[in-house]
Amino acid sequence: MIAEVALPFVGKRAVTRRLLSNRSASAAIALLFAIVIPCVGAPLFAPADPRAQPNPVELKNQPPSASYPFGTDQASRDVLSRVLYGGRVSLAVAFIATLVSITLGTAYGAIAGFAGGVVEAVMMRILDTLLSIPRLLLLIAIFAAWRGLNVAGFVLIVGLTGWYGLSRVVRGQVLAIKGEEFVVAARALGASRARILLKHILPNILTPVIVAASLGVGHVILLEAGLSYLGIGVQPPDPSWGSIIQDGSDQIAGAWWVSFFPGMAIVLTVMAVNVLGDALREALQPRHMGTE
Amino acid sequence: MVIAVGGDPDGLFPPVLTTTTGRAVTEQIYDHLADLGSDLNTVGDAGFSPRLAKSWRWSADSLSIAFTLDPSARWHDGTPVRASDVAFTYGLYRDSATASPTAPLIENIDSVTAPDSLTAVFWFAKRSPIEFYEATVPMLILPEHLLKGVKGQALRTSDIARKPMGSGRFRFVSWTPGSSIELTADSGNYHSRPRIDRLIWTIAPDPKTVFTRLVGGEADVLEQVPSGDLPQLAAHPELKPVLLPGLDYNFVTFNLRDPGNPTRPHPLFADRSLRQALTMAVDRRRVVQSAYDSLAAVALGPTVRAYPTTDTTLQQIPYSLDNARRVLDSLGWRVSGSDSVRRRNGRPLEFTLSVPGVSKSRMNMAVIIQDQLRQAGVKMNIDRREIASFVDLENKRTFDAVFHGWHVEASPGGIRQTWGTGGAKAGGSNHGSYVNAAFDAAADSGLSAMDLPTRRAHFKRAYQMIIDDAPAIWMAEPKTMMAINRRIRTPALRPDAWWSTIGEWWIPSTERIARDRAGPPR
Amino acid sequence: MAGYLLRRLAQVAVVVALVATIAFVLIHLAEGDPFSDTLENPNVTEEIRAQLRATYGLDRPLPEQFARYVASVFRGDFGWSFSRQRPVIDVLRDALPNTLLLMSIALAVSFALGIALAIAQAGRPNSLTDRIISGISLFFFSVPEFWLATMVIALLPYRYPGIFPIGGIVDPTTHADLSRGGQLLDLAKHTILPAATLTLLFSAVVARYQRAALLDVLPADYVRTARAKGVSERSIVRRHALRNALLPVITLFGLAFPALLTGAVFIEKVFGWPGMGLVIVSSIDSRDYALLMAAIIIGSVLVAIGSLLADLLYRVADPRIRDDR
Repeated sequence: MIAEVALPFVGKRAVTRRLLSNRSASAAIALLFAIVIPCVGAPLFAPADPRAQPNPVELKNQPPSASYPFGTDQASRDVLSRVLYGGRVSLAVAFIATLVSITLGTAYGAIAGFAGGVVEAVMMRILDTLLSIPRLLLLIAIFAAWRGLNVAGFVLIVGLTGWYGLSRVVRGQVLAIKGEEFVVAARALGASRARILLKHILPNILTPVIVAASLGVGHVILLEAGLSYLGIGVQPPDPSWGSIIQDGSDQIAGAWWVSFFPGMAIVLTVMAVNVLGDALREALQPRHMGTE
Repeated sequence: MVIAVGGDPDGLFPPVLTTTTGRAVTEQIYDHLADLGSDLNTVGDAGFSPRLAKSWRWSADSLSIAFTLDPSARWHDGTPVRASDVAFTYGLYRDSATASPTAPLIENIDSVTAPDSLTAVFWFAKRSPIEFYEATVPMLILPEHLLKGVKGQALRTSDIARKPMGSGRFRFVSWTPGSSIELTADSGNYHSRPRIDRLIWTIAPDPKTVFTRLVGGEADVLEQVPSGDLPQLAAHPELKPVLLPGLDYNFVTFNLRDPGNPTRPHPLFADRSLRQALTMAVDRRRVVQSAYDSLAAVALGPTVRAYPTTDTTLQQIPYSLDNARRVLDSLGWRVSGSDSVRRRNGRPLEFTLSVPGVSKSRMNMAVIIQDQLRQAGVKMNIDRREIASFVDLENKRTFDAVFHGWHVEASPGGIRQTWGTGGAKAGGSNHGSYVNAAFDAAADSGLSAMDLPTRRAHFKRAYQMIIDDAPAIWMAEPKTMMAINRRIRTPALRPDAWWSTIGEWWIPSTERIARDRAGPPR
Repeated sequence: MAGYLLRRLAQVAVVVALVATIAFVLIHLAEGDPFSDTLENPNVTEEIRAQLRATYGLDRPLPEQFARYVASVFRGDFGWSFSRQRPVIDVLRDALPNTLLLMSIALAVSFALGIALAIAQAGRPNSLTDRIISGISLFFFSVPEFWLATMVIALLPYRYPGIFPIGGIVDPTTHADLSRGGQLLDLAKHTILPAATLTLLFSAVVARYQRAALLDVLPADYVRTARAKGVSERSIVRRHALRNALLPVITLFGLAFPALLTGAVFIEKVFGWPGMGLVIVSSIDSRDYALLMAAIIIGSVLVAIGSLLADLLYRVADPRIRDDR
């Protein structure tokens, strides 16, 4: 939950310092790097081609060993390599979808807050309605109807349905900052609306945006995995974490490793972004500043 | 006795069923006129055993069969079963408002008359060796007095569709959707009381949980052990694995017509030698073994081994990567430069295989085929399709290749639609548009031959022709791995319908457990 | 208050209508229909499918189908479920109580557990206990529901199928013959794992949220006064802070419905628990339009009612909140 209170802008350097002094945040950053780098650089780090099938009869469903650290799957493919390549898809989907939703959320909230009056009232009423639509049910309806949608479509729809919460917060921030002395002063000095928005207000709403972005990435990773499990997720040529889990889910009694490792990759990534999100919030918005 | 299944049947109204659970349940409650033997012979009446019909008489011209009903047969409400019920049943199955998937199987039956209350006469449009099969196997006889006047949609929603009442050896007790279906022995049945008192289908709401019910002792019979759970089965000595030959086969169909313009031949697959080369490049034995372990055999052709008409000595196109390479080279498809994909006149040897995503085993096989073709310099893309769009693709014929499978009837007649010229038109079942008049003729001769050796000889010719033409790569013929608790004794099971003999199954009194002793509930 | 309530109810109606309309249009515009799954049966020809479509009115223009649908829903008729061959309303009547059972167990236990954990944590922030509990709740907060459930199944029911049966809420074959106590035990054996999994997942949400809420209240003036008076940290949390952290609990209650429903979709699917979640998932697989529509409508009604309840509680708990909030 992001508090709907106005906050003074905190210097960049102070933020970095505070973030790094937080031990769990440092650990989370390290963990993220440890996951993201091998995934993004999968062609360099993966021990095998994720599609190579050394021997689909004798080497299928091999348990983890020195030569296959995460074991092999039904077609004798190396699970570790698949998890790394799958991470590229999952992380990219999460990152881009989150980008879409924070852009929309910030724009909508800022416009509503800045416009005020009837426009704001109408925009907020619409937002209230959107907020009360259960997202998963809506996504299920959309993806059940259009199965086999490509990655771009998937990312877009997930992004389009994930911005409501943020825009409400952004609008609250804008409203509060609008009344702040430095903005009033700028306006008195004859600064244009656009300039005020860009120079003074946007930097101040960065806090909730950054926090929402980092939590949003975690949320989309979970969402993508869940929808893949239901058979209505991303269907790229290369698998995502969710679809690797799904591939192995009917073999958990015999070959648990096919589902276990991609699941752990998800858990660790999401844990790291959640810790990071919390730490960012603290660093950007030292607690109780509003009340003290 | 408790049978575990992974989902509800699609109703309990015989004419509209497509699920095996629906068939298994209704065939206990209703009767056929006669039952198919376990050798699956469909020619004449050899091997058939009397059921609702006590006896039958062929007319001199073989264009009609008169069935004499068992006079002691009663519906479960006590009303006697009459010949008019048989005639009514035929009318209902054929009525287009019923939209019965069984209707095409009984097209050769012209009419059914009831000259007296115990005689039902079937009249056929033309002579066919499987007249008797057509008259007895596709239809379950329904009670006219409960269904008269009900039509179309109302049939599916009617009371009897959910609470069936027939003349079979078990009576319907209850159906709690998502939970269980219960039947009880019909103690006064004209065919003698079954030896098992209570028959329960326990319905797991999700197929994945079925197996745990079996090993947990909640169920005695599992129709299909999921292949992922096979290793677990060995750890349970109380369960007897029963491997039944299947009535399914699957294959990679090549589209012989241009997907963009069906009047033109396919730029790649119209070439018979190329299709043969692709078949050579796939090590089918390995692919099938990887995807199914021991639960499938390599398919012989467009048929299954369970048919008495199938000759297992058919000449296959043998796997040989070297030969495949050689043929492709000779056809002008050559590897050049750094590219590993063969090309001819600049065009790469590349195509897309569409696979229904719901079929895990076909997805698994596709992935391995992709890898094997790659070694021959062929690039195959896998297009995983949601089932509806897969069907659409097949109907519109806008594919390069599809990974299809057929579940076949006990009679091989379906081959006319699935591989004959007649099914090649849009909307037909011959999706790859394989057209070969000689094959049609051989299959037709096989279907109209009156004795088994002749039928077999004609079918062998037909199958050999289509295997040589390679309009598809014949992949797997999956078997059914059942598991049955050892305390239950069973006679031989019919490959197409293991449940057909349930009335004869029994449990020795010394091995009964509490569940078996519990009488029929109040 | 009455005016506010009316306005909120109107909003609920608008949301549900909106979701229903979007879902209807999407589902009916998609290719395929409930009869596509007869694919591998060569006897089910295209003509038979066409006949079935005509029988069920699926060949009519979309607006007409929609009008018919709306009209029948207002008559209380949610249509016919193809995949289950029975009226949709009967399917819902069977499934809804099972989901509510699962959700209410999870709701009650996770609120109790989550708040207790949060109190233990907020009493001594950054202590070892706080860190351990934070770590565990972070794990359950970050885990994909279906994956956790799948791993639970691999660990328990596959090894001890007699103790942890899965699939269904009771053993249908013996349940009727059991004694009253035996029936309860049977139900408990089937319920324990799905309920526990859902509870763990939601307890983590409650604990994390409540801990933050408590820590936000702690520095307030009256707490500082109490602290100055020498009241122990633990009782400060319990007596003072907790009362003021009630509002977040109510907010959480509103959030609980969508979160639990989401969780239930996956948990029910993995454990084969015959509730609304499983209905939703299986109706996707079988393209059972009418059933999926109804399940989505019921789901959004549940969620809307949850948030309405939370809003009303909020107003009762904090009279300062005005109508325009």
